[in-house]
Amino acid sequence: MTPTIAVSGLTRRYRGHVALDDVTVDFEDATITGLLGRNGAGKTTFLRILAAQEFPSAGDVRVLGASPIENDAVLRRMVLIREDQSYPDIRVGHVLRAASWFYPNWSGELAATLLRAFDLPAGRPVKKLSRGMRSAVGIVVGLAARAEVTLFDEPYAGLDAVARQIFYDQLIADYAEHPRTVLLSTHLIDEVAGLLERVVMIDRGRVVLDADADTVRGATTAVSGAVPAVDTFAAGRPVWDRRTLASHASVVVGSPLTDGDRAWARELNLTLTPLSLQQAVVHASAGAAGERAEGSHA
Amino acid sequence: MSTAAPTVHPLDTAVKVARLHLLDRVAYLLAPAAGLLFAFTVDAIIVGMLPSGDRGDHSVGGLAAICVVAFVIGLQSITKGLSFGLSLGLSRRGYYLGTALLAITFAAVSGAILTVLRAVEGATGGWGLSMRMFRLPYILDGSWYEAWLTSFVVLTLLYVYGCWWGLVYRRWTLIGMIAFAAGQVTVVLAGALAATWTHSWSDVGHFFTTLSAVGLTGVLAAVTVALMAGGFTTLRRVTI
Amino acid sequence: MGVLDDSSPIFAQIAERLADEIADGTLAEGERAPSSNELAAFYRINPATAAKGLNVLTEDGLLEKRRGVGMFVAAGARERLVERRRQAFAQRYVAPMVAEATRLGIDAGALLALVRQVSDDPPGAAAVDGTQPSSARGGITV
Repeated sequence: MTPTIAVSGLTRRYRGHVALDDVTVDFEDATITGLLGRNGAGKTTFLRILAAQEFPSAGDVRVLGASPIENDAVLRRMVLIREDQSYPDIRVGHVLRAASWFYPNWSGELAATLLRAFDLPAGRPVKKLSRGMRSAVGIVVGLAARAEVTLFDEPYAGLDAVARQIFYDQLIADYAEHPRTVLLSTHLIDEVAGLLERVVMIDRGRVVLDADADTVRGATTAVSGAVPAVDTFAAGRPVWDRRTLASHASVVVGSPLTDGDRAWARELNLTLTPLSLQQAVVHASAGAAGERAEGSHA
Repeated sequence: MSTAAPTVHPLDTAVKVARLHLLDRVAYLLAPAAGLLFAFTVDAIIVGMLPSGDRGDHSVGGLAAICVVAFVIGLQSITKGLSFGLSLGLSRRGYYLGTALLAITFAAVSGAILTVLRAVEGATGGWGLSMRMFRLPYILDGSWYEAWLTSFVVLTLLYVYGCWWGLVYRRWTLIGMIAFAAGQVTVVLAGALAATWTHSWSDVGHFFTTLSAVGLTGVLAAVTVALMAGGFTTLRRVTI
Repeated sequence: MGVLDDSSPIFAQIAERLADEIADGTLAEGERAPSSNELAAFYRINPATAAKGLNVLTEDGLLEKRRGVGMFVAAGARERLVERRRQAFAQRYVAPMVAEATRLGIDAGALLALVRQVSDDPPGAAAVDGTQPSSARGGITV
C-alpha cells in the first residue's frame, strides 16, 4: 500500500540558509506521529510544504498519492492548523460554518461539542478572542474537519494545561472512532507522549530520529553508580551523555535492557532510571546526529 | 479513513468562496452603503450652500467613495482572507476564481443600485438641488443599461486591481509594492515617450476625444481582464 | 498520563495492568475486557498502543477474541497467571530483597524473621497489593 504521505529528497532553501535538507520520510494511514524538534528546526516549513502553502526547492512530496500543489482533490482531504493562523474580520461561528462548506467529512456535532468544551463564544469576533481562545478555534476546525490528513503545528499557543488536556482527550476520542493520519508538531513531548505511536525528530532541517515511540521509550535508561561499575556495565552498549561527579558516574544507555541486565546492574550496585520520552528523544537524536548535540539538553 | 476523493466542482467552490468573503458583512454591505451615504450627504450640503442664483447642474464626485470601497475590499479579500481561505483546503486557483466571481457579483449589484439611484436623481431634479452625483456627464450620461455596464466594469476593475495590490504585498511585501507602483509608472511613461517619438500624440488625443462612454467601457473591460490575469500570475507562487 | 510511567513501553504497561486485574480477580474469567478505545480514553494513550497491549494478552491466551463483541478473559487465565507469577516471584522479588539485605548486613535468619513479622502485621494493609513490583511504582493503585 502506498503511504498516505510520501516525501523524498525534500529540500527547501531560503536565501542564506537551508530550512529542510534532503528529507525523506513516509507516513502511513491511521497513525499519530509526533514531529519533534527545536524552534527553527524546520517543522513548520515541512508541514507548510505538505499542505502546499509553501513550495519545495527540490524533492518530491506526495499526499494521498498525488502532489498537493493546486490539487483540490487532495487539499480538501487535509487540514493544517497553524499556531499563527490569521482570520478575516468574522465571528467564531462563521469560521466553523465556512470550514463546514469545504471539508467533506466535517462534523457539525463534534464542532458543537468542542465549542462547549473549550467554552468558546460562537458570536464573538475572532479578533476579540484571547490568544488561547484563538488557538482553540483552530483546534476545533482541525478536529471537526476529520480530514484524512490532519496536521497540527504547535496548535496550543496560549492554551492553559486544562485546555490542552481537553485537546488531547478529544483527539484520542475522535481518532479512536475515525482513525486518520495525524502529524502533531510539538515541543511539549511528555504531555503528548502517550498519544504518539511514532516520533520523527527534525534538527537543522534533517530527520535525525524516526522511530516507534515505545521503542524509544523502552530503549533508553540512565545508569548511575560508581565509575568502574558504570563503565563495566556500559561497555559494548551505545552510550549517550556521560557525566561524572567525583567517583560517581551517570550515563544514558541507548539499548533495551534485559531482565538479566537488570539483575547484573543490581549486583553492580547501579541505579537504573528510565528516561521520559522527552529525555529519550533528546538523547537519541543527539546520538543519531553524531556528537553535535551541544546545548540540546531539555 | 479512506473515503473516496471528493469531487470538487469549480463553480460550487467559487460560490462557497464568495460566501466566505460575504461573511464579513461590514466590508460588503455596511462600507459601500455608508461610504455612498456619507459622500452623498457631504455633496448635498455643499451644493445646498451654493448661491441660489447659480444656474445649471452641479456635478459632484461622490461616486469616488464607492470606487475607493471597491478597491479596498478587493485589497482586503487577499490581505485578510487569503491565508484563511487556503487554510480551509482551497487551491490558490479555487480561491481566486471565487474571489473574481464575488468581484463581478459585487460590481453587478452595486452597478444596479447606482443605476436605480441615477434614475431617482433624474426624476427628482437632482434631489431638488440640481445635483449630478449619479449622472456624471459623459461617463454615466447614456441609457440606463450603458450606465449600468460602465459602473459594473469600473467597479470590477477597481476590485481586481485591489486584489493584485494585495497579492503583490503578500508575495513580496513592501519592496514589491514599491516596485509594482514603479512598474506601472514606467509603463505609462514608456507609452508617453513612445507617443512623443512617433509624433502620435494627436492620434492619441483623437482616440480619446472620439471615444464614446461605451467605447471607454470596452477599453476598461480589456484592462480588467489583463489585471485579473496579472493577479492570478502573482498568486500562483504566493506562500502563506 | 498520570497512571502510567516511563519505566517501560506503554503497551507493555497496559498488558501488565490488565494482567494484574486478571490475577487479582478484578477482571473475572469470562468477563469482557476493556476495548482498545476505552483503554485509550482512560489512559490517554493512542488506541493503537492500547490494542498492542491487548494483543500481548491475546497471544498469551489470557484473553480471547469474540468476533464483533470484544475481548473476554479466557477460562483458566487467572490460574495460569498466578502460577507463572509464583514461578517468577523468587527472581523478581526475593532476589533484590536478599541483595539489599546483604548490603545492609541483614543475614538470612534476620531476614526471615522480618518477613514473618511483616506477614503477621502488614504495615498499612492497603499499600500491599501483592502484584505490584515494589520499586518504581510504590503506592499507585488503580
